[in-house]
Amino acid sequence: MKEPLIRMEGVSFDYRLNSEEVVRVLRDVSLDIYPGEYVAIIGHNGSGKSTLAKHFNGILKPTEGNVYVAGFNTKDDRYRREIRRRVGMVFQHPDNQIVATIVEDDVAFGLENIGVPPREMRKRIDAALEAVGMSSYRNRPPHHLSGGQKQRVAIAGVLAMEPRCLVLDEATSMLDAHGRREILQVLRRLHQRGMTIIAVSHHMSEAAEADRVLVIEAGRIAMEGPPREIFQRQELLRRLQLDIPVATRLAGRIHERVPDFQPDLIHPREIVDEVVRIAGKKGAAG
Amino acid sequence: MAREFELTRNITVGQYLPTGSFVHRLDPRIKLLACGILILAIAFCNSYGGNLIVLAFSCLLFRLSRIPLRYGLSGVKPAIPFIVILAVLQLLFYGDIASGGRVYLEYGLIVITSDSLRLVIVSALRFIEIIFVSSVLTLSTSTTQLTHGMESLLKPLGYLKFPVHEFSLIMTIALRFVPTFAMEMEKMIKAQASRGAEFGTGSWWQIFRRTKEMLPIIVPLFRVAMERAEDLILAMEARCYTPGGTRSRFRTYQTTFRDGLTLLFILCFSLLLWMYPFPY
Repeated sequence: MKEPLIRMEGVSFDYRLNSEEVVRVLRDVSLDIYPGEYVAIIGHNGSGKSTLAKHFNGILKPTEGNVYVAGFNTKDDRYRREIRRRVGMVFQHPDNQIVATIVEDDVAFGLENIGVPPREMRKRIDAALEAVGMSSYRNRPPHHLSGGQKQRVAIAGVLAMEPRCLVLDEATSMLDAHGRREILQVLRRLHQRGMTIIAVSHHMSEAAEADRVLVIEAGRIAMEGPPREIFQRQELLRRLQLDIPVATRLAGRIHERVPDFQPDLIHPREIVDEVVRIAGKKGAAG
Repeated sequence: MAREFELTRNITVGQYLPTGSFVHRLDPRIKLLACGILILAIAFCNSYGGNLIVLAFSCLLFRLSRIPLRYGLSGVKPAIPFIVILAVLQLLFYGDIASGGRVYLEYGLIVITSDSLRLVIVSALRFIEIIFVSSVLTLSTSTTQLTHGMESLLKPLGYLKFPVHEFSLIMTIALRFVPTFAMEMEKMIKAQASRGAEFGTGSWWQIFRRTKEMLPIIVPLFRVAMERAEDLILAMEARCYTPGGTRSRFRTYQTTFRDGLTLLFILCFSLLLWMYPFPY
């Protein structure tokens, strides 16, 4: 097995309210994330999923336990830059992470911070904007862009730094359906090229895109596995106040009426395939 | 009615009009420097003749940068009340100080002389000229270029431990968030107005009333600004920003022969304005 890119060992995190009160947000979380994986982290509001995400690049440091990114312990400040170059992060608000007044300059911001020479910068910025499909907007001011476009610029700003892993902390929650689709498309493409992706979300249809789903509840990992398995355990999900994707719910309903119909579908296109399969069989029988 | 709610449309700070003219292509540092020198010269020029020449020259600048003159005039419009107030005050109370020339009117404390009249007219002209010149600068230079130019020009201050880069970053971020906050404010005004709050009902002289009307907007706006700032810090840190760290630069500017020539010309022009004894 490959070396994990991110390794968490017994991580607990306390959020200090004031000098006396402390809230434990994460409790003894251990997990490994391997290069090239697409991991979705889901959980309802206040489950600790965002706090967990902020441990992946050392923005937050564990109260107990250790986090290693490519072998560097996030507690060691000497490696801060090394860690953040490897694990890029995109946040929730599209507006609050763009620094410059022109798209291109914003993508350059991270590169300037890590001291990339200007000639190399040009190449990397072009590649990053190309990867998110924003090349034709390079000279636009950010406030003329839609939410989805701004979020794509934010992703480009991270991509230009050539990280090995992209963490999206609820990056689609402020977007409309169209913007969300744009981002998911970009993520799918990046994943195909070998980028490790960790997507924190409460949209179940996004979790269906992943190879592996982690369900967080009260600061612990409550469930873990491929999305198809996770979404079959509907009782448990409901107890955790989580929904299942529309496709899975629909497949379940049809399965009750037509026992031949597969219940464990998670993508709309699978429903279509299944309907075609059954209709074809009926046609052949009749 | 709806127009009071549309703030984003009225924002002209850093309005940039790319026409690709000669002026647009100049090095931003040179432009900033030239603009500064010219404004200084205008401030010291107090003859009718000199000011008319500068006025003609600033109109020529609009021509050169292929920007319609109405952009300059729209910059003058909001300044008209100030120009008028200044003119009235100077006309009424400067007779004692600028007491040279013929006396036109003497009534108690109020003295109007040909010199004080000259001061009034020249001040108004200067005001307009400075607005014109700086409009050409901001209309022909993008905000990024402006802040980079400023940073470059301030670089010598770095030796005195002045945080030059941080200063320019603050400017960039401030400019970046102007439209964002305008949008935010628009939303708040609409939300408050839909619940019965009144905006802009007082006449313009009811300053206190109008200020009070803005309070329910200012307070939440500050709160939102704080929130955004916190998010922004996280996002900047996640992209390896370290205050005071060494950075490389994406945009570099090259000063060409043309830039040098422009600066030389502005310098000579300014010296001429300052030194030449205009007869009027």
